[in-house]
Amino acid sequence: MHFQARAGEKVRNPVLQRALQKAKPLFVGKRAKGIAALADDALDFETLRTTCEGIRNRTLADLDVWLDIFEERATASGAEVLWARDGEEVGRLVVDIARRHGVSKAAKSKSMLSEEAHLNEALAAAGIRPVETDLGEYIVQLAGETPSHIIAPAVHKTIEEVEALFAKEHGRPIETRTSADIPDMTREARQVLRQHFLTAEMGITGANFLIAETGTAALVTNEGNGRMVTTLPKVHVVVTGIEKVIPTLEDFATLMRLLPRSATGQSISNYVSLLTGTQREGEHDGPQKTVFILVDNGRANLLGSAYQDMLRCIRCGACMNHCPVYFSLGGHAYGWVYPGPMGSVLTPLYTGIENALDLPHATTGCNQCGSVCPVRIPLPRLMHQLRTDQVERGLRPLSERLAFKAWAWLAGRPALYRWLTRRAARYLSWLAGEDGRIHIFGLAPGWTAGRDLPVAGNRTFHELYKARKRA
Amino acid sequence: MRVALYVTCLVDLMRPSVGFAALRLLEAAGCEVLVPEGQTCCGQPAWSAGERALAAELAKKAIGELEGYDTVVIPSGSCADQIRNIYPQLLADDAAWSARARALAERAYELTAFLADVLQVSAVPAAFDGSVTYHDSCKGLRSLGIKRQPRALLAKVPGLTLKEMSECEECCGFGGAFSVKFGDVSTKIVDRKCESIAAAGADAVVGGDLGCLMNIEGRLRRRGDETTRVLHIAEVLAGGGT
Repeated sequence: MHFQARAGEKVRNPVLQRALQKAKPLFVGKRAKGIAALADDALDFETLRTTCEGIRNRTLADLDVWLDIFEERATASGAEVLWARDGEEVGRLVVDIARRHGVSKAAKSKSMLSEEAHLNEALAAAGIRPVETDLGEYIVQLAGETPSHIIAPAVHKTIEEVEALFAKEHGRPIETRTSADIPDMTREARQVLRQHFLTAEMGITGANFLIAETGTAALVTNEGNGRMVTTLPKVHVVVTGIEKVIPTLEDFATLMRLLPRSATGQSISNYVSLLTGTQREGEHDGPQKTVFILVDNGRANLLGSAYQDMLRCIRCGACMNHCPVYFSLGGHAYGWVYPGPMGSVLTPLYTGIENALDLPHATTGCNQCGSVCPVRIPLPRLMHQLRTDQVERGLRPLSERLAFKAWAWLAGRPALYRWLTRRAARYLSWLAGEDGRIHIFGLAPGWTAGRDLPVAGNRTFHELYKARKRA
Repeated sequence: MRVALYVTCLVDLMRPSVGFAALRLLEAAGCEVLVPEGQTCCGQPAWSAGERALAAELAKKAIGELEGYDTVVIPSGSCADQIRNIYPQLLADDAAWSARARALAERAYELTAFLADVLQVSAVPAAFDGSVTYHDSCKGLRSLGIKRQPRALLAKVPGLTLKEMSECEECCGFGGAFSVKFGDVSTKIVDRKCESIAAAGADAVVGGDLGCLMNIEGRLRRRGDETTRVLHIAEVLAGGGT
């Protein structure tokens, strides 16, 4: 199914719409508060943005070098570093590690890259049970769905839907729930998940950042499941993209000024974990084996291209949280792992420009995303570049191309243009009739399906102006 | 001051009164207003669609028509953005045109920015008996920084009260071709705008871009709101809106 068809379905889904309408003001309001509170620490958003943008740009300029340093330091601290070209390779590597360590259950903390790699499917196919332990991911996994938001995976679900899933999975009757019951429902999930933390032989996480100077994975979480997953199981596998590396802990501290604020408005997330190496002598917890799987999956292709800016992304979700299109549809309409403006850029870049032709067009160009992005990714410009690439690669429908050509040809011939627009004005006015509004317009049915087309008169400006000057 | 008025293709075809209101406003502010002949469209639709070559053709045409004037004024944030920000970028690598594009960009203004920032008008010709709420169009707001100017100008209209709507900076869902290509998504977005407008309870919703206004008016009427007036800021300031 194409984006357009999915979009139509989502717009008309009242349950989804209710969930989205509830979530949007929360996201926007919390971020606004968080950013405003920077002033309490005598910090300025625009200055910080410039600094964060600079950190990411400098890293990307020498990405190979920083990755080499990361590999060397991580290895020195006792971890193993593996490289994966694509998602399939990620699956093979993780299954292989699991088999070597006799793993039958893997507890997972949120990782969007594991979605790119279809890791859960790969594990299940190998007889290993993946258990999502982030609350939202847990809900999504029970529903047999994929995340619809990168930091709030189950944002598309209402409390009634979650209650039905929990009742079924936890073997109890369905109860009537209100938001006051959320703590109870969370406690219930926690009790179930606790058993998984204690019995899983492998923990799988992503990484918000990889810190080169220390060979460290940084995890930014709110629920504490990330700690469980990285300390209890004997094996910890970090699956993340090669672009996540940053040079120093100092850089990490700077980026942390904006990451949680941009995502949830928090000055800092409930948990910030810096994970280096394996369990050392005398320590009571931590994995005996730590493996980093650093994944390309299309990222290296963006280096040095017109799309390199996209690699700055620190996955805060602010772009989708401020996107009118995202909040009309939810994340599943976007068809792949990443939704919202970042998805409209990444999906064609990672899955093939010809496989996501609609996405770069599914934008009003409002730039609400670009103006909140903590690392100043010019998302509208990148979507525009993709539209230009579609034209240049001959991927637009011939009818559309001819229409633009004809229109531009006409606009280049003022006399003919005047003659035609005069006729058009009369035609539109005739269509509009007495109330001055077109209710069904065959030339733009997409407009009049939901709106009237107001028509102000039957003369063009230039026609009237000419007449006035003559008089 | 001699000023060229670039009326925009949408105003020309769909709502000529906006062009005449802009003309009256500029004349009332003491400008000699000329309407360059031959003007058609700035090429923004082609640019947005990724039709770079066509957009460049139309950009060159517009530059040729407009560069002879000291100042160009445009009653639209998105068309002004096209000329001010996109033309120089579009023609940056064209040796013959890049300097001309930049020169025009520096002298092209969105209407309210020109009135408030350049002319610093102290009065406007209009009176308006009632309340208005202002919708900030995206390109004007986020590409040109137009926020304070329309409000400062509205504050000079005797009888007018401004009732700000919540989320006045939220996109209305127009987006040019987007509104036709993704009509149902666009309608969903403008529905929220209509709710904000209804909650503000003003007599009229005012904005600086005709595309957004047609989208808002079209949806308001379809929802059954026959009373809230939908006006371009030029119409309100010039007195056409009473």
